[in-house]
Amino acid sequence: MRWTRRSGWAPHIPLIIVAAATAFPFYVMIVMSISTPGPFDLPGSLIPTKIDLGPYIEAISGANLGRWFINTVLFAGLAVVLTLFLASLAGYAFAKKNFKGRDILFWMCVAVLMVPGQLYLIPQFILISRLGLVDTFAGLLLPGIASVQALFLMRQFIRGIPDELLEAARIDGAGDFRIFFQIVLPLCGPVLATLGIFTFLWHWNEFLWPLIVTRSPENYTLTLGLNSLKAQELSFNAEMAASVITLVPVVIVFLIFQRHFVRGVMTSGIK
Amino acid sequence: MTALIANTLDERPARRRIGRPSKIAFLFIAPYLFFFVIFRIIPALSAIALSFGSYSISGKIDFVGIENYQRLFADPLFWNALGVTALYTAVAVPGSVIFSLFMAQLANRSIRGMRVYRTLFFLPVVTSLVAAGLVWRWILSDNGPANWFVGLFGVPPIPWLTSGDTVVQSLAIVGIWGGFGYFMLIILAGLLAIPAEFDEAAKVDGANAWQRYWHVTLPQLRPTLLVVVILSFIGSFQVFDLIYVMTSGGPVRSSYSLVFFLYDQGFHYFDFGFASAAGVILFLITFGVSAIQRRLFGDNQS
Repeated sequence: MRWTRRSGWAPHIPLIIVAAATAFPFYVMIVMSISTPGPFDLPGSLIPTKIDLGPYIEAISGANLGRWFINTVLFAGLAVVLTLFLASLAGYAFAKKNFKGRDILFWMCVAVLMVPGQLYLIPQFILISRLGLVDTFAGLLLPGIASVQALFLMRQFIRGIPDELLEAARIDGAGDFRIFFQIVLPLCGPVLATLGIFTFLWHWNEFLWPLIVTRSPENYTLTLGLNSLKAQELSFNAEMAASVITLVPVVIVFLIFQRHFVRGVMTSGIK
Repeated sequence: MTALIANTLDERPARRRIGRPSKIAFLFIAPYLFFFVIFRIIPALSAIALSFGSYSISGKIDFVGIENYQRLFADPLFWNALGVTALYTAVAVPGSVIFSLFMAQLANRSIRGMRVYRTLFFLPVVTSLVAAGLVWRWILSDNGPANWFVGLFGVPPIPWLTSGDTVVQSLAIVGIWGGFGYFMLIILAGLLAIPAEFDEAAKVDGANAWQRYWHVTLPQLRPTLLVVVILSFIGSFQVFDLIYVMTSGGPVRSSYSLVFFLYDQGFHYFDFGFASAAGVILFLITFGVSAIQRRLFGDNQS
């Protein structure tokens, strides 16, 4: 990395102002989630004097938060496994194999990238309801697992693996599946990590599709559950406690894998 | 997950790879292709077909020609949604691009604590817009912290979310908060890719910092900025989560966006054909504007 010359304290001023403004909503969320519900005054209410875990208890007992949390973990977790599995298999074929119709299929995928997701919503919903999968876990999960972005990233990465390596294995008698599982897949570690984190994050925060396909509160994901709290008799503080519970896993994943995030965005613009 | 459309398009078609045509390759792509065709290709084509039809509960689709489009163009709600979306985009896109450009410049230096700053700036990007929307709704409420803050400077309370004149701008500010960290990183990657020699050569020629930025850095950054403009445009034009959580399209439909319109028509009134027509228009606009932006800003590229 190239750095500009050493600077004094001056650049810190705008950085601190923007950092404070960026962090403020998170600060409010946390402070309100540990404050006693009731009328507030400003700025007094935003300066915590004592910790009251009441809002967390209210959120957990008043809403089905535990269930929603498990649903979301399963949804995001399985989505990662299936997305990576499908995309790496297909990515290998697109990158290293020669087959009929490959280029047509590839450009078909490019074309699909241009279509905004909202255009699919209605036919996808009709399809899911014809299959009897409305308000089921399968209906929530399956439409999203064939990710074009994932396919591209895998294909791009696998193309960078030297052909000689695969040829050597082939001469040693390894078939395509062995080559894939024992050579290609282990080499894909970094890209699988980046892709996995983004897929996880994306599903964790996904809102519109769950909103459409989910009906019963016990099948809600966290974002749906959070949204439903608006209509309930919960205090604002409990809403904030539920928000913190929704954010904590994502923030932990982000802080642990920050390097992958930054690399993913900087090299491929993934989000 | 936003696609990096520009990247994939600039890539040449796949080169011929090892060996003769392989049948086993189909085994590798079959699982992906199965889900891809069922949940992507067929719905995309059906959406277009559906926009020319009328869908009844029994599952029958009757061809109605361009009737859905005629209704759409005659519907004041649709024009309202288009106007709201355009206004949101007109605030959010320039706001995001200029602000991220500024922040990338600030973040492109080695000073103590830079990692902490960058982490903080990226945090809203990984945050659920539903959770963010809930807290922002309170911050921007009439007696909330935002009005307390402007009150410190003697500004009278602003009806951030409760007046039709300000609600879209307020939502766009929250949108910028949620996305600038991502765009900042993309621009930062672009800045780091510019060879240092360019800047040094200009310095030797006597250019001052501002001239170097305007005549050397910015032109070099043009492809990156194009990507950022397109991504931010597509994201803004599809705004939904924030609006749904913060205002439900209100007050009196003054933040009723195009995707909200599509959602409403499709899943409240179950007018699938009509909603699909709105989806096709949404697609044509995003596609068309991205193409124009490419042409305008990308012309000195190959």
